[in-house]
Amino acid sequence: MKKDLKEYAALLGGYSELRLQENRNANISLMNGNLVANGQTAAGGLSARVYRNGAWGFASAPGADVETVKKVLAAAARNAEFLDSRLKKGLPPLPSLPGSAVHDLSTRKNRKSQKELVDFATEIDGYIAGKYKALKGRRVSIQGLDMEKAYVNSYGSSSYSMTPRSTLRVVMFTEKDGVPVQASDYVCSVGHFEDVFSEPAALFSFVDGIYEKLRRSAEGVYPEAGLKECILDADLAGILAHEAVGHTTEADLVLGGSVSAGLMGKVVASPMVNLTDFAHTCLGRPCHIPVYVDDEGVTAKDAVIIKDGVLTSYMHNRESAAHFGAAPTGNARASEFSDEPLIRMRNTAILPGKDKLADMVSSVKDGYYLAGWTNGQADSTSEFTFGVMGGYEIKNGKFARSLRGATVSGVAFELLKTVTMLSSDMSWSAIGMCGKKQSIPAAMGGPAVKCLINIGGR
Amino acid sequence: MSDKNTALFCLESLKQAGADKAQCVLTNTEKHEFNVDCDKLSLLRTGYDTSIKFTAIKDGRRGTASLNGCARPEIEKAAASAVEFSKASPSDPAYDIAPAQPAKVFESGLAAPDLGAMYDRLSALLAQARAKYPRLKLVQAIVNFNRKTEYFLNSNGVDFTSSTGYYDGSVFFLSQDGKKTSSFNYSGFTSREMEKELIGRVSIDTLFRQSAEQLDTKPLNGKFEGEIIVTPDCLINFLQFITAMALRDASLISGSSVYKDKLGRQIASPGFTLHSRPVSYEIVDGYFVTPDGFEAENTTIIENGVLKTFLLSLYGANKTGLPRVSCSAGCDVIEPGDKTLEELAAPIKKGLLVTRVSGNNPNESGDFSGVAKNSYYIENGKILYPVSETMISCNIPKMFMDIRGISKERVDFGSAVYPWLSFGGVTVSGK
Repeated sequence: MKKDLKEYAALLGGYSELRLQENRNANISLMNGNLVANGQTAAGGLSARVYRNGAWGFASAPGADVETVKKVLAAAARNAEFLDSRLKKGLPPLPSLPGSAVHDLSTRKNRKSQKELVDFATEIDGYIAGKYKALKGRRVSIQGLDMEKAYVNSYGSSSYSMTPRSTLRVVMFTEKDGVPVQASDYVCSVGHFEDVFSEPAALFSFVDGIYEKLRRSAEGVYPEAGLKECILDADLAGILAHEAVGHTTEADLVLGGSVSAGLMGKVVASPMVNLTDFAHTCLGRPCHIPVYVDDEGVTAKDAVIIKDGVLTSYMHNRESAAHFGAAPTGNARASEFSDEPLIRMRNTAILPGKDKLADMVSSVKDGYYLAGWTNGQADSTSEFTFGVMGGYEIKNGKFARSLRGATVSGVAFELLKTVTMLSSDMSWSAIGMCGKKQSIPAAMGGPAVKCLINIGGR
Repeated sequence: MSDKNTALFCLESLKQAGADKAQCVLTNTEKHEFNVDCDKLSLLRTGYDTSIKFTAIKDGRRGTASLNGCARPEIEKAAASAVEFSKASPSDPAYDIAPAQPAKVFESGLAAPDLGAMYDRLSALLAQARAKYPRLKLVQAIVNFNRKTEYFLNSNGVDFTSSTGYYDGSVFFLSQDGKKTSSFNYSGFTSREMEKELIGRVSIDTLFRQSAEQLDTKPLNGKFEGEIIVTPDCLINFLQFITAMALRDASLISGSSVYKDKLGRQIASPGFTLHSRPVSYEIVDGYFVTPDGFEAENTTIIENGVLKTFLLSLYGANKTGLPRVSCSAGCDVIEPGDKTLEELAAPIKKGLLVTRVSGNNPNESGDFSGVAKNSYYIENGKILYPVSETMISCNIPKMFMDIRGISKERVDFGSAVYPWLSFGGVTVSGK
């Protein structure tokens, strides 16, 4: 794919931008040993966006040649003019914030063939089938997603990024008293498959861990309903940060009436809580969704959403930053070549504290350790519901029986005020696909969090 | 080269690359979309695309590839990749393509959008919402025109061309009054015309009114087993366990489906009849050809509570030895009942009118729990007030065996037609 679009800069007038993008997916899936998916897809093309006095026009088409460039620019300009002629908003030009960056995270190793990837999945599947014969079902899947983007705008921004993501997921099923029980886990990271995975045997202990989770879950109990003292693992802390807090602080949703509209500068959490949407680097380490220049050509910066328990920032695109008189954060991202950039999270996390997990567990008299999520949804009010994969009872400071699963709910800005301990370590999940109009990868993370949370009953 | 000739070139490229059985689907799409963000019309978006999907079966092994665009070298490369990928696959007699059927050209809907009408309807929605519901915030509203032409060819002689054109739209909203914010809600429609005002379509006006009411909610105390009435907007959350999970390939091939032994048997209360009608006039965005290359037919999935068919693809049918379904589901039409909404509520001692749920994905058993959002408490037959932080737990297969009533009124979304349903045996938990 062409990496530099600056040669088209002369075709851009007013405020306009041009993006060339290709998304490439690899998909391999084995279900009980049957290869049910074995393919690759590629979808790419050009898009243009034009701003006229507060009205936006957008157009996209497949292709990368100069004729397609002219075609999408003309169509986007027509669309902007159509709206401007009717809306007559008369708004001033957007601020000029030129940014530039080139980041290619492609592997330097030889790429594996599709057959080698299928063989990799098949070897893991064979290990499961051979060792865990009593299972009722199993799925092994490999997914790769390459997002490659080149960008230029009329304000002098230009960028190129190639961001690969690789995932291997294993699901196991059994039955307990005639009721299906399921456990799953995944390895997902920024990088091509060759940089994330070595050989199948290196994942056998990961697979054994899933079987152990399944066994414990099958023997497990459902938690008691009600408000309970709990420790959320890093995965749950991450989805809390993304779904229940992050979305309410995206500036477009703030303008749309989210609860965060009235909370800027207010205490929304325990003073030990810090929550940031990282642009590309967290605590000195690279993030899974690195954004250096966003899809509006703005240099990306961290959005420090909660600092010491106080709401301090929203996430912005060019337009919302101008509206709020805030510094832009570079949160504008588009999923496909045919999508317009929207305000999206990148790498959203609660920052670690100073506690040891063992001390956190021993401090709970009667509660739960909740681990892993199956899905999560949240509201404009910061009310959330998450499916929890498993965990343990905690009785008198010690793990007791395993949990089979649970649904937890609450109001995030109330829950965060009940936080009393945060573990000193943190971990990230890169498997999330955020579905705000367009489905796009988003990373989320955090430490273990001790808090009060409402557990749903059966 | 015409699109049809490009599709033929794709099929020939697969054969040239060595495929024993070949299938290609070339799809041209055109989209025109108006966007409202935060109560303001903000964007007009136009998109054109051509995507091509290749399937190759060689020596009983299957590979797939896809691309967009029509460049010949890229097509030849993708076709060769599909054949190359097939070599990575084990041989499986279940891999197959559709047999020859008479060639057909299908056409439905509109050829081009009326952009002026789309703009006028969306502008009117903003003005009407502002006037009628001043506390409403239209976070996002979208009106689309979609035009699609699909060429489906395979090496057994399948040759279908289908074109569709229609409008669709969605609204995503909440209400705000000072520091008070209601839960968000949403709805959507599909239509052949852009003349009717948007606020009068599907449930939009009712949901806008309810949104303002939901600024003042009350929590429920305690826990009880009761009945719930599920609105047409919310029904898909429960129905999709049946139509998108338990009757589909993955659950039946793995043997984990709760309905695996239920063909011809009762899986819902008598009176519940569910059709998939992809080629009926009442469904605006239906389809003429299934993803595996068969001419689609309207199909009854559940008739008076009896399961009439699984929703197996050609592969799923070959794998399980069970019959293939003659459509690929979706396009749901549920037969109406004989009750008004008031009559559905009348016998309920304690329960909920559930308008939206936020909850977990049901497990293979159909256990579901989640928060009843934008929902109302019902007591002694009266719909009383909106609730907050109220969870419901149920087993979906048991729910459908305990349908207490079906409304005679239905909402026609254009993509589905649903009534209100009341179900018994649902656990409701307050704070």
